[in-house]
Amino acid sequence: MAAAALGWALRAARQVLPTSCTGQVRGYYVDWRMLRDVKRRKLAYEYADERLRINAIRKNTILPKELQEVADKEIAALPRDSCPVRIRNRCVLTSRPRGVKRRWRLSRIVFRHFADHAQMSGVQRAMW
Amino acid sequence: TSTVLSTKEDGSTPSADSTTKEASKSQKDSAETPKKKLLSLIGDMKVEVSSMRKFQQLNKPDTNKQTGTQREGLRGRSGALPKATEDARRSKPLKRELVEAVSAVASSLPLNKEKTESDLLAQLRRHEETTDKQKKGGTVNIRNVISDMTVKRESPARRGVRISNLISLELEEDGKRIKPEQLGYQSSDSRRYFLSLRVGRRLNIFTKTSPDTKNTLTTASSPTIWDLEFAKEVAAVTNQPPRNGFEEMIQWTKEGILWEFPIDNEAGMEDDAEFHEHIFLEKHLEDFPKQGPIRHFMELVICGLSKNPYLTVKQKIEHIEWFQKYFEEKQEYLQEI
Repeated sequence: MAAAALGWALRAARQVLPTSCTGQVRGYYVDWRMLRDVKRRKLAYEYADERLRINAIRKNTILPKELQEVADKEIAALPRDSCPVRIRNRCVLTSRPRGVKRRWRLSRIVFRHFADHAQMSGVQRAMW
Repeated sequence: TSTVLSTKEDGSTPSADSTTKEASKSQKDSAETPKKKLLSLIGDMKVEVSSMRKFQQLNKPDTNKQTGTQREGLRGRSGALPKATEDARRSKPLKRELVEAVSAVASSLPLNKEKTESDLLAQLRRHEETTDKQKKGGTVNIRNVISDMTVKRESPARRGVRISNLISLELEEDGKRIKPEQLGYQSSDSRRYFLSLRVGRRLNIFTKTSPDTKNTLTTASSPTIWDLEFAKEVAAVTNQPPRNGFEEMIQWTKEGILWEFPIDNEAGMEDDAEFHEHIFLEKHLEDFPKQGPIRHFMELVICGLSKNPYLTVKQKIEHIEWFQKYFEEKQEYLQEI
C-alpha cells in the first residue's frame, strides 16, 4: 500500500511538458529515463562553455602541470550530469535507446511504421 | 363630469358674495351622486373668499395633500363655466366650483373648518399665480437659453471630413460597398445630428472622469474569455484560406516556412561586426603578461578563435575574459612555482 502510494506520488510529480503550441500535444514525457535524458541535455548546455575552457587548460603542453592538476579537480567538481557524454540519443516517440536513426530521431520500429503509412516525407521502400 | 359641478352650485345657498352663485343657479341637472348629497348637507355654509388677513396668518395644513386630487379634478373642468366678478383685492378670482369644493371638503374634515378652508383657498391662489407667471414670463427663460445656441455654418472641409468618416464606417455592408450617391443623402440627415454636439455654452452638468480609473479598469479585464473569443472570430473571418498557389506561397513566406528569393546568404544573421574584429583579437590581450607560458597559451587561444566562424565577437571576448579572471585567481598559486 505504502509502496503503491509512493509510486503514484512519484508518477504524479513527473515533469509536465510545456504545452505552448496548439493542437494535439502529449502532456508528459514517455518515461522517466527520457526525463533524465532531458535534464542531462539541459545541464550540458549550461556548462558547455566552462567545460570547454577548463579542458583547454587541461589538454595543454605549455602550461605548468600544477595548473593542469588544479583544472582537473575543478572539472571533477562540476555536476555529473553536465558532461555531454552521458547524453543518449533516444527515440523521441518511444524513448528506445537503441536502433535510433539520428536524422529522424526515431527508433527503427517507429520509422518503419510511419514510412509504411506514407507519413515520412521523401521516404520510399527501397527496390533495386 | 359637469353634473357634479352643477349639483354643487344648486346646493349652495346665497352668501355675502352671492354674485358667484347667482350665475351658477342657471345650470341644473337631475343626476344625483353621493358627492351631491354631501354638498347639499353643507349647502348652508358661507364661503369666506375675501379675507386676506387670515390667509397670511395660517399655515399650510397636511390635509391639502388628500384634497389635492379632488381639487385638481375639479379644476380641470373649471374652464367650462364662466368666471364670476369678485372684489378688486385679488388679481385673479378663484373659480366658483373650486371655492365650493373647498368649502365642502373643509366641512367634511374633522379639523378646524374655517382654517382648512382658508388654507385651501390660499393654496389655490398660489397655484393660479404660478400658472400666470409661467404663461407670461416662462417663455422668456426658454428664449434666453435658445438664443445662446446658434446654428453653425459648417465649412466645406468639415463636411468633407464628415463624409469621409461616413464612408469609412459604412463600407462593406453585406459585402458590398455603399456608393457615394447614397452617402450624400445620408450626410444631409446626419448633419443636423452632428451640429448639435459641439454647439452652445457648457452646461457643466457632467464632471470629467479621471483617465486613470478607465485605464486601470481596462488593463485589469483585458484577457477576458470574451475578448479571446472575439479575437478568434475576427481571425476566422479575416484569415481566409489562400485562393491560389501564389497566395499560399506568400503566406508561407510571411510565416518563415519559405525562403525569400533571390536567396540571401546572410538572411537571419545579425552579426554587425566587421571581419577585422573577428580576426585581430590581440588588443584584448593587454592585461596578460607579455612573457611566459600564459602568453603563449593565450596567443594559441586567440588563433583558434579567429578561425571560428560560428561564434560572435561578443562570445569570443567572453572567452578571453574568462581566462583572464581564471589566471588572476591562480596568481598566488602560480607565483609559488
